[in-house]
Amino acid sequence: MRIVVCIKQVPATTAEKRYTPEMRLDRSGAEAVINPLDEYAIEQALKLQESGAVETVSYLSMGPEQATEALRRALAMGGDDATLVTDPALVGADEWATARVLAAALDRIGAEVSLMGMASDDARGSLVPGAVAAIRNLPLLSYGAQLWVEGKAARIRRLNSTGYDILEAPLPVVASVTDQVGEPRYASLKGIMAAKRKPLETWSLADIGLSADEIHGGAVTRMVEVRPPEEKGPTERIENVGADEAAAKVADWLAARKLI
Amino acid sequence: MSNDVFFLAEFSEGKPARSAQELATGAAQLAAQSGGAAVGLAYGEGSGESAGLGAWGANRMVILGEGNGPAVGFAAAAASAVGEGGLAVLAPATPNGRDLAAALVGKLGLPALGPVRAVRVEGGGLHAEASTLQGTFVTVSEPTDGAPAPTVVLVLANTFTPEEGGGTAEVTSAPEAAADPFGAATIVESHAEGKAAVNLEEATVIVAGGRGVGSADGFGILQELADELGGAVGSSRAAADAGWVPYQLQIGQTGKVVKPALYLGCGISGAIQHRVGMQTSENVVAINKDPDAPIGEFADLFVVGDLFAVVPKLTQEIRRRKGA
Repeated sequence: MRIVVCIKQVPATTAEKRYTPEMRLDRSGAEAVINPLDEYAIEQALKLQESGAVETVSYLSMGPEQATEALRRALAMGGDDATLVTDPALVGADEWATARVLAAALDRIGAEVSLMGMASDDARGSLVPGAVAAIRNLPLLSYGAQLWVEGKAARIRRLNSTGYDILEAPLPVVASVTDQVGEPRYASLKGIMAAKRKPLETWSLADIGLSADEIHGGAVTRMVEVRPPEEKGPTERIENVGADEAAAKVADWLAARKLI
Repeated sequence: MSNDVFFLAEFSEGKPARSAQELATGAAQLAAQSGGAAVGLAYGEGSGESAGLGAWGANRMVILGEGNGPAVGFAAAAASAVGEGGLAVLAPATPNGRDLAAALVGKLGLPALGPVRAVRVEGGGLHAEASTLQGTFVTVSEPTDGAPAPTVVLVLANTFTPEEGGGTAEVTSAPEAAADPFGAATIVESHAEGKAAVNLEEATVIVAGGRGVGSADGFGILQELADELGGAVGSSRAAADAGWVPYQLQIGQTGKVVKPALYLGCGISGAIQHRVGMQTSENVVAINKDPDAPIGEFADLFVVGDLFAVVPKLTQEIRRRKGA
């Protein structure tokens, strides 16, 4: 049983970010990390391996050459091997193109479970896991607070409006998990050393049987404008007053905006 | 290619979700700009009775299926319903809405935009405005020339305000779709934990509590204030992780993304992960005893004080004014 965790390298949450004149995210200079929500997917996969439900944990990423750092970092947390799909035609890839490429790479790797984080820090569409499942025509188990693999099926626990459901689908599946699977482990020094010897392959688009034409040059959407958010007015502060006066002032503020 | 604007209309327990009403109005507005029709794709329990969404702007409703299974089970029908093209498919930016949106992107190779905070038709094309990179930029995007149609647009709650006044929508069934491995997941167990939480995405007033609330009991005074304001209680991840409130109430990157008219944060520091879930709220009020809390930098009104003193007084004050 093999599980492939798809990870994305993103600028650190706190890094200063900007767009290039071509309206692409400028990744130079900003500290790059594993998308924080993907670390939960890694944690879930490693837990399944520790419990014996899964034999092999592999990683897959699509991105620039630099993304090998993220894959090495993942391998330092645990797992067995990694693959990077990198190609000049993928610069500026949108969700559809990303899903198409990951789907082709996952088909080539072959795995009972393809696992992803619930969203990426820098885009937040959360569409890639579902689109990968749809392209491969495999069952989607999304937003799992926990994932199990048993026999010929996978299950997730997923929040509903009042509690939670257990959803089940036959393997192979594409799944995504939330931050409720448990805090991701840190890489140990031993893990970091071991990661250097783990296999890491680099594939081009041609290696997964795709051409730049087939992915429409990487995007079927384009950005036409980037601007800073509207300036908000300055924050009004109420301080150094008693609770009664503070409450009255807040009520005045709400009333002035017709909120009460 | 038609200029129709589709929207996903989720039903449960016989009623349309608030998102279905918002998107019916949104689709009607865009369809008026594009010269097409507003066409709802209804799914879930009660979707057979969806003609009523005409009141919110829908011209036509297509029933994808009336079961109460996972949303992915309606993906094949949705793909066949929009397969002949159109301008856009509006999908709510909820887990179910995103699953169906993703299915359309994957199955039909459609462009996807959003989650958006505004969308319009300009020169016959779609323009979608989104807040990206943790709110540090606003971007406007469009499908490329020659991209497959329609374009899938994820829409945040409260982007459109439902407007009543239309008539009755014509109702049809989606074309038969073959069994679909993508939608093979089934619900094998269902667990209710306490009473149904108010759907935060539908609330126009939210009183949210964080680490500073300190306990499950502490949320009692927040609930009283929310009741007085006709709103709902939300939380930060810290409060949900601590078990003080169920995860259904969590606002933020991995919880709900909300856009109420009033967000009132109590004992919430305003970490970026929480901020991305509420930063498009129209009015942000924060109560925190730490004068340097990050939420003080982006709130419209910041009360430096003890929430346990201020919140009950505020509830009383609002009650008094309403009674006056």
